[in-house]
Amino acid sequence: MGMILCATRGGEASYPTQDAVISLAKERGDELTFLYVADVSFLNQTAAPMVVDVASRLEKLGQFQLVMAQERAAAQDIIAQAIVHTGQLRAELVVVAKEIDATLIVMGGSLGPDAAFENSALQVFAADLQTETGVEVRILGSSD
Amino acid sequence: MKRNILYGLATVGIVGLVGGIWWLLAQPTDGGYEPAFFISTGIFLLVFAAISLRWMHETAAALLGAAAVWLVHYIGGTYFPALHIIDFEESMAFVDWNVIWLIMGMMIFMAMFSETGAINWISFRTFRMAKGNAWLLVMSLVILTAVLSAFLNDVTAILLVVPLSIEIAQTVGIHPFAFVIPEVLASNIGGAATIIGDPPSTIVGSHLGLSFVDYLVHMAPIAILCMIPFLIIISLLYRRDLAGAKEQFSPALMARLEADAHITDFPLLRKSGLVGLLMIILFFTGDYFGGIPPSVIALSGAAILVAWVRPDMHRMLHEVDWTTLIFFISIFIIVGGLEATGVIAWMAGIIGDLAGDSLKMATILMVWIPGIASSIVANIPFTVASLPIADFLTATIPGAENGVLYWALILGADLGGNATILGSAPNIVAVGLLSQAGYRLGFGRFMRDGVPVAIATLLLATVWLLVWY
Repeated sequence: MGMILCATRGGEASYPTQDAVISLAKERGDELTFLYVADVSFLNQTAAPMVVDVASRLEKLGQFQLVMAQERAAAQDIIAQAIVHTGQLRAELVVVAKEIDATLIVMGGSLGPDAAFENSALQVFAADLQTETGVEVRILGSSD
Repeated sequence: MKRNILYGLATVGIVGLVGGIWWLLAQPTDGGYEPAFFISTGIFLLVFAAISLRWMHETAAALLGAAAVWLVHYIGGTYFPALHIIDFEESMAFVDWNVIWLIMGMMIFMAMFSETGAINWISFRTFRMAKGNAWLLVMSLVILTAVLSAFLNDVTAILLVVPLSIEIAQTVGIHPFAFVIPEVLASNIGGAATIIGDPPSTIVGSHLGLSFVDYLVHMAPIAILCMIPFLIIISLLYRRDLAGAKEQFSPALMARLEADAHITDFPLLRKSGLVGLLMIILFFTGDYFGGIPPSVIALSGAAILVAWVRPDMHRMLHEVDWTTLIFFISIFIIVGGLEATGVIAWMAGIIGDLAGDSLKMATILMVWIPGIASSIVANIPFTVASLPIADFLTATIPGAENGVLYWALILGADLGGNATILGSAPNIVAVGLLSQAGYRLGFGRFMRDGVPVAIATLLLATVWLLVWY
């Protein structure tokens, strides 16, 4: 039995990817883990006073997003694990992939204005990630 | 278009620098505009463009600008006296330390208060009390955000309210934009109500030496009044979204929501609540105690809370956002250079010519120029640079002694910031928070809501100022 690791932020743009990876886990009989990475680097865009512990609030937001993803999985009789990390997506994907012995990493394809990456950038990101982790990286839920 | 304008500003900045050097080499000065005039203008415009175009972090840009002012003054001025902009001692006199200490005191207080979980608890109670009425829920959270912006500050209010609002929106099945955009717009309006609400309010209020109450009696009524057209516009824009709310919520999501919304530290809440209450009492009674400045009240509150709670001081100091303080100090220094070289007086002369002796025309200009500018460029350097212009116009236009032009500047800078994502810091922070939940809020989508609200509130503010003052 393999382990699929799927990075997701939540939001409507991620639903097709979540549904696709849930179906894939069911089809392969693999375990499924969703990963949310709380990235506070957007705060560097302004010099306004940031005295709130933003990372901790984003981690809670991430846990909420992953409960939604787990509910989607449960609706298809898949029990998914949820992991929340703080940092940069790529670095945390590498760390978590090693931690859980992932056999497949899944990322969402570019879907409309809410997508995290342009398709071309995503392809490059996926190829680099595969080289770094030695784990197959697949892009699902793309509109292509 | 915005990008082109900002690139245009940067070009003018570079031309100003090159022009200053050319002037220096071409002719000895004999009065009139000196090279330092052009070079300080060039430095300011380059910093302005770097901040607005996100070439680098705002603080890095401002610090670089302040360093450039001093380097040109000391190194350039050693060889060419016409390059004297402003020396270190003179520039320190341009820094408004009341603003710096006020922001620092409030940051220390807010850092501790935000750890209590009280705002999340209130937001969740609001959700429960709305009993599925999505319109009531959004309006309640929006008003909560406006009040928090007035008494904490606008960015803190957004950081505290928005993450849980996104979760609530997803629970009730409404697009998070219907919660978050109105909250952001409300934070900019609410921030205008008090001297601690947002940076333009703090900068102008401190410049005038106003107490909390002096400021409140002038600005709170118009801020509250502006909430009326704002709430009407928001109700109209989101009537369809709010009508589509779910009536049954997922138990798992509700459990998660509730877990994120409990009081995390009761002793800290009790202590920070008491100190916060004491600060509010002092803010309101400050005039009785010899006009105690808001900065002294904020710092005293922070000091009492630190002594009472005994937090880890290294951690505490780490949580003070030093980048903000350095940004403000640097902007004051750069604008000090503009004042020292006569740039501000020159700009004030132009606006004075446009307004003539008409206080009404000057008021309209002082609302709408900052209002439009704040929607395109960073409103903090703009406000700092506009203050000496307001001083000049107040001193020269008959009838302006009542301070109407300063109120106009605050309202223009605060309310204009609602028009675009770049208009104010809460807008940028909210876009980042939404992106973290998978929702990308674009420039055009924000403007759909922001522009009508900005225009309606700026119009109302203009009428208010013309009638009341």
